[in-house]
Amino acid sequence: MEIRHMLSALWRTRTGPILIAVQIAIALAALVNITYLITQRMEAYTRPTGIDIGNIFWVRSISYATDYDHKSAVETDLQWLNSLPGVIAAAATNSPPQTWWGIGMPFSASPDPKAVKEGARVYLMTARAIETLGVKLAAGRTFSPESVAPPTADFGAALQQWAPEVVITQALANRLFPKGDALGKPLYIGLVNKSAKIVGIVQTLQAAPISGPFEKFGNQVVVAPITPAGPNALYVVRTQPGRRSQLMAQVEKEMADRVPGRYIEQLQTLTKTASDTRNGMRTGSIVLGVVTVLVLAVSALGIFGLAVFNVTTRTKQIGTRRAIGARRFHILRYFLVENWLVTSSGVVVGCILALVAGVIMSRTMQTPRLPLYYLVGGVLFVWMLGLLSVLLPARRATEISPAVATRTV
Amino acid sequence: MMLKHDFLLALRSFRRNPILTALMVSAIAAGIGAAMITITIYHARAGHPIWWKEDRLFAVALDNRGSDHTGEELQRHPEYPPDQLTFRDARALYRSDIPDRAVMMYRTGRVVDSGKPGVRPFGVFARLTTADFFPMFEVPMLYGTGWARVADTTPEPVVVLSKHLNDKLFNGANSVGRTVTLNGRQFRVLGVVDTWMPQPKYYDVTVGSFDVAEDLYIPFGWSTALQLQTWGSISCVTPDAKIGGFESLLTSDCVMLQYWVEISGAAKLRRFKQFVDNYTLDQKQYGRFVRPTNNYIVDIPTWLRLHDVIGDESRIEAVLALLFLAVCILNTVGLMLAKFLGAAPITGLRRALGASRKQIVRQHLTEVIVVAAAGGVIGLALARAGLWAIRVMTFIPGPDDSPDKRALAESLSHMDYRMVALAIAVSLLTGVLAGLYPAWRIGKAPPASFLKAQ
Repeated sequence: MEIRHMLSALWRTRTGPILIAVQIAIALAALVNITYLITQRMEAYTRPTGIDIGNIFWVRSISYATDYDHKSAVETDLQWLNSLPGVIAAAATNSPPQTWWGIGMPFSASPDPKAVKEGARVYLMTARAIETLGVKLAAGRTFSPESVAPPTADFGAALQQWAPEVVITQALANRLFPKGDALGKPLYIGLVNKSAKIVGIVQTLQAAPISGPFEKFGNQVVVAPITPAGPNALYVVRTQPGRRSQLMAQVEKEMADRVPGRYIEQLQTLTKTASDTRNGMRTGSIVLGVVTVLVLAVSALGIFGLAVFNVTTRTKQIGTRRAIGARRFHILRYFLVENWLVTSSGVVVGCILALVAGVIMSRTMQTPRLPLYYLVGGVLFVWMLGLLSVLLPARRATEISPAVATRTV
Repeated sequence: MMLKHDFLLALRSFRRNPILTALMVSAIAAGIGAAMITITIYHARAGHPIWWKEDRLFAVALDNRGSDHTGEELQRHPEYPPDQLTFRDARALYRSDIPDRAVMMYRTGRVVDSGKPGVRPFGVFARLTTADFFPMFEVPMLYGTGWARVADTTPEPVVVLSKHLNDKLFNGANSVGRTVTLNGRQFRVLGVVDTWMPQPKYYDVTVGSFDVAEDLYIPFGWSTALQLQTWGSISCVTPDAKIGGFESLLTSDCVMLQYWVEISGAAKLRRFKQFVDNYTLDQKQYGRFVRPTNNYIVDIPTWLRLHDVIGDESRIEAVLALLFLAVCILNTVGLMLAKFLGAAPITGLRRALGASRKQIVRQHLTEVIVVAAAGGVIGLALARAGLWAIRVMTFIPGPDDSPDKRALAESLSHMDYRMVALAIAVSLLTGVLAGLYPAWRIGKAPPASFLKAQ
């Protein structure tokens, strides 16, 4: 074919094509790695939480009076919240799910201090916790209301009176009991040196959408029947569908004054909490995504510009070729193939760049290596983009009349 | 004179090729816009909040971890000691008189009752700290002063307020000597801090490297007297550390205090390091500090680097944006070259009529620099708009936001005059880089080669 002529023509005016190839290389490396990065994040924050987020809100009260009685306040509040029409269940907790704050503790399957320990997020919650979160039990039952430890003055003391029963997530059960026999086994709790019987296993309960090496800590959760320590109280409330905002208004109006010496500090839907938690990741991904799209757009523009220039300067030659028998198709093919050669040389360099960048990123961020199919997809995409960018100028080239050959430009 | 002529020629050339010119201007504008956005964010995160004192302030971290520590293998730098100290170690180090000043502190919270009718009590973050905090970190005082060191051991009912809290409680008046009610207990106001928000919040990076300062400062003596819990982070770093009530925190291996010293002179610093190492070696006899001695006494830049306050995110953004700028420059080179060669017959004519090679190069370079300057101006506007959008996306307004929070969001995306100057410099440099080769190429060509084709 005409490849040899093409290459020699390219070589004679090499500056433009080389510039395009370098752009393509950078664009490919950016496209592949940023897409992978954003996909990893998206995976982390769209992963199922297991929680009935859309129907849950939480409310936090802060006490200021010296005679405030946390124990009776929690009892009064829980009784009241659970009695409201439209409330499915309400429970006290030490931190709302889907936030970064909370307690993490080490757990193991054996009392041996050398045993493998797994870190997990701990939720100290009162009776009906599982129902309140709307999470599904994969096995066993929820903890009994009698097992809930009463409230204490501070959080360390609350952990010390660790209750006899716990519910854990499947993710943690799989880690500590790989044989799948977690149910009914004792769970050993580090930092407090206690143990509790695993009475239930929850399918999914995501504490926070963590990505990267600490991802597992988002899904390894222990729900312990312990009333969180005072003097501030936090309640999670799950309502029947559609009744959340009405109940929130009622709680805001009526709850604080039911117990003297405290005020409602925060009242929030879990929907907002979950979205705020993801906000930072989202903004970062948007910035990276926008810049990557810009890189691609400008590269496409470069290809387009070069092609337009080539068509314009070669008008006479194209006309001549047409006059001596080349079909429109041959002209189109010439430009497409020429562009493909330029793009491909950029792609080769880009693959190397992408792999190097991928290794650096996975090293520093401790994330899995860039999967090769991202690179394959990226290469195909860049080829497509190159072809599309050159299509319009190439079509214009085919419309050059053979008669041009006979005229001076 | 010649410059003006070159400039007019450039304008004429733009009119000849408006689309191509617009493409070049927008490519440069997009490149500079994106680069300035990410560089501004990076620059804000890489700030030096107290640069004039960086040679005297040191963070202290001791490695009191047990032989194995859950999750350690996942950490990026398992070799770093925990970033905070236990109560017992902080108190032990505090006895040393080697440092000129020393601060041990942690974040807690209090409920403020303004006593005004109809105003509900509200919670604020408070910093429980020793007296040296104010002179050591050079906290600007609007009214009054901090407290004397004696309040660090025997609790005195005195506090220092933030400007925001003073505005809220006393409408901004000089409140020194007046009382505030914290959780039902009366405290006398000793001072009011002026607007102060060092970023990164280097003196406590454990609950977020970029955060507003606390609204209340309480003498350290109240820590045990009121059994004040931390509202920051606490981490138990030995396998046999037991979490219990507040009393047990005073002796357990759970870290929760930040520790800073001010030391001038290398000899003193060496002595203090020796003192700290001796202390941890000595503690081994009680079965603590089981690992090889690994105590960090580091200056602020090192401390911020250890905590990676800049973060992968802004680094990746900055690299990507600079690559993008490079792509834009390459693109402009390509488009410029095409444009110049397209107009080569005119150039050839000028050469034939006596324009020197130098004049041709200068004329074309002027044209590129005009394009780059226009791109730079639009890019600056784009950067401002982009930073504004990022601010809107990241700042979530709350019901009762301190003005500091808004200021924080703004400071993290603020383009100061240095950034603007940098943007102008970058756009001119872009112009020169993008124009040099095409201008040289077109200047090199012999005049006849272009005339011939006509």
